Amino acid sequence: MVTFLQVALDGILSGLLYALIAAGLSLIWGVMDVINFAHGEFLMVAMYLSYWLGFLWKVDPLISWIASGVFAFLVGALTYKLIIRHTIGKSAMAALLATFGLSMFLKNVCLYVFSPNFRILNDTFLGGKTFSVGGVIFSLPQLATSLFSLCVVALVYLLIKKTRLGWAIQATAMDKEAAELMGINTEWIYVLVFGLGGACVGIAGGLLPSYLATFPDVGGLFSLLAFVCVAMGGFGSIPGALFAAILIGLVEAFSGFYVAPVFKYVAVFGLYLVVVFWRPRGLFGW
Amino acid sequence: MRKCSFALLFVALLVVLSMGTAFAAEDVIKIGTLFPLTGPCALAGQRCQAAVETAVEVINNAHPEINVPGAAAEGVLGGKKFVLVHADHQGKPDVAKSEAERLIDQEGVYAIIGSYNSSCTKPASFVAERKQKLFMCGCSSSAALTKRDLNRFFRLAPTDETESLEFVEFIKYLNETKSAGIETVGLIYENTEFGKHAAEEGKAAAEAAGLKVVADVAFNPGATNLNSEVQTLKAADPDAVFGACLGGDYTLWVRTMKQMDWLPDVALNYCTGYQDPIIAKQLEADGDFFMGGTGYSPEFAELMPAVAAVEKIYMTKTDPSVPFDSDCIQEAIATLILAQAMEMAGTTDYDAVLKVLHETQFDSPMSLGGKVVFAPGGQNLKAMSILTQLQGGSYKRIYPLDLADTEPVVPMVAWGSR
Repeated sequence: MVTFLQVALDGILSGLLYALIAAGLSLIWGVMDVINFAHGEFLMVAMYLSYWLGFLWKVDPLISWIASGVFAFLVGALTYKLIIRHTIGKSAMAALLATFGLSMFLKNVCLYVFSPNFRILNDTFLGGKTFSVGGVIFSLPQLATSLFSLCVVALVYLLIKKTRLGWAIQATAMDKEAAELMGINTEWIYVLVFGLGGACVGIAGGLLPSYLATFPDVGGLFSLLAFVCVAMGGFGSIPGALFAAILIGLVEAFSGFYVAPVFKYVAVFGLYLVVVFWRPRGLFGW
Repeated sequence: MRKCSFALLFVALLVVLSMGTAFAAEDVIKIGTLFPLTGPCALAGQRCQAAVETAVEVINNAHPEINVPGAAAEGVLGGKKFVLVHADHQGKPDVAKSEAERLIDQEGVYAIIGSYNSSCTKPASFVAERKQKLFMCGCSSSAALTKRDLNRFFRLAPTDETESLEFVEFIKYLNETKSAGIETVGLIYENTEFGKHAAEEGKAAAEAAGLKVVADVAFNPGATNLNSEVQTLKAADPDAVFGACLGGDYTLWVRTMKQMDWLPDVALNYCTGYQDPIIAKQLEADGDFFMGGTGYSPEFAELMPAVAAVEKIYMTKTDPSVPFDSDCIQEAIATLILAQAMEMAGTTDYDAVLKVLHETQFDSPMSLGGKVVFAPGGQNLKAMSILTQLQGGSYKRIYPLDLADTEPVVPMVAWGSR
C-alpha cells in the first residue's frame, strides 16, 4: 500500500509540474492559435537564469523563480513582437516554423555560450530535503514546485475567467475583429498572452534547478509532454491542461512502476492517441 | 592585346594556385572526427573532439618533452601534418551514417575517428568499411562492435563485456574476503544500443557467476524524472546495481535515489556520468561511494606518467578546463596509434597501414595497459580499466588489488549518515 501511495504521489507531483509548463502553452495556443515550438527552450533559458543566480550570487530557486518568470515574460513578449507578429494572418505553418527556428536558435546559443555541461545547483534551501508520512516520502523541492504550480495555474485561471483583462483575452481568442470593434487592443493582448505563456514556463524553469540538472537539451521532453497535456486537455483550457497533466503524471508513474519503466512514455502517448481519437478537441476543449 | 595579357595572367594565377593546392594536399593527411557535438551527449562529444585535437597537436609539432612515440618529430612520414575535419552526429545513428559518407566522399578524409555513442559508431564504421577507409574508435564500448569481423575497424577502450566480468570478479572478491553477502543484482540502463548491450553483458556475467538478477530497468535517455525507475529498483532491493546512465541522467538517478532514501550495497557503473569529473564534483558528497570502471583519472598519474604533459595541452582546449577522462583519452590514443601505424608503414598506403595495425604491438604510454594490440575484428587486447570508488570526490583505485591504493567502502554509506 505504501508503495502504491508513493507511486501515486510521484505521479501527481510530476503532473503538477507538467501542468505549469502546459498552462503557458495552452494560453498561447488557445488565444492565438500558435504552436510555440520554442516553449521547451523558454524553460531551458529560465533554468539557466535561475542556475546562474544561484551559482554566482547564491540566490535560492525559491526566490529566483521571480527573476526567471519576469525574464521569460520578456522573452515571450519579445518573441511575439519580433517574430510571431509577422506570421499572423499567414499560413499556420509560418508561426510553427518560426518558433521551431527560434527553438534551434536558443538551444544553440546556450550550447555555444554555456557549453553542453550539466550544471547542478547544490546547497539550495530545499535541496535533497524529504519528509515521510506513514512511509510515503515527500521530496520538498518537488513538493514546493508542485504547490507553486497549483497556485500559478489557479491565478492564471482566475485572471482569464474573473478579470476584465481575462475577458478581453477570451474575446480576442473568440473573434479578433469583433474584439477590436469593442475597443480591445488585440495587439497588446497578444503581447501579454505570449508574455504570460513565457512567464508560466519561466516560473517552472526558475524552480527546477533545485533538483534537476540544467543543460541545453533539458527542455525537449518537457515541451513534448506539455503539447500532449494541452492537446489532451483541450486547446485553450487551463483546467483541461491541469487535469490532463495530472493524468499524464499518474499514467507515467503507474505504468513505469507496475508495467515497466521503459513503457511509461508508450502509455502516455498511447493514452494521448486514444483521447485525440475519441475527442479530437480534447477533454475540456471549446 | 591587353585583354589577352589579363587572360594569360589569370590562367597563370590559376595554375600557380592549383599547384599550391596540390603541393599542400601532399603535405597534409585529412582525418575526419565524428562525435556528438550537439544533443544530449554533446559534452562528452566535445571533450572527445578536444582530445583528438590535442593528439594532433602532439603529432604535428615537435614535442621532445612528451614521452609518446612520434611526439618528438614534427608531423608524420617526414613532415606530413594531420588536418582535422569535424562532423557532428548529434547522437543520431542516421546522421552518423550520412556524416561518415560526407566525410569520406566530399571531404576525402583518410580515416575517421569517433564516434562516442556505440549506436552511431556502428553505422558510421560500416560506411568506412564499405568505402575501404580506416575507422579508429576510441571509447564506444558495445562489445558487439568488434564482433562484426570488420577489417578496417579498430577500438581502443575496454568493452562492456570486459567491464561486466570485472564487476562480477570484484563482487566475488568482496563476498570472499569481506563477507559482503552480495547475492542479487539490479540493472539500470538507458534504452540505447550502449545501454542495452551493457545490460546484456552485465546480466550474462552476473548469472554466470551465480548472482541473481532481480531488477532489469531500462529508461529513455533525457527522461523528465526517474521516479518509477528508482522505485522499481527499491522494490526489488538488489544488493548490487550495475548502472549505464550517461550525463544528466546519471545525476538524476543519484539524486532520485537520495530522494527515495535508498541505496544498494554496491553501485557499479559502466563508462557513464560516473567518470565525468565535473559531474562528480557537482554532485559533491552525493556522488561518493559509487564505483565504476575507469580507464584514466588524474589520480592514476603515477601509473601513467606520460599523460601529464599531453593533458596540459588538452586542458587548454576545454572550457571549463578539465583533465582527461576515461572516454576522451581513448580518442587521443586512437589518433596517436594511427600516426604510429603510418610511421611504421612508411607510407599512407591503406594496405600497408592496415597490415601494421593488424600485426603490430604498439607502445602506448597513455594507455593503462601500456601497449595496444588489435585482435581480428579490431578490439584492443591490451585494453584495461581499474575499478575505482569516489571517496571525498576523488577517484580511488580499489580493484584489482595490485593496482589498488585504497580499501573499498562497502556497503555504501547511507544518505542520512553522510
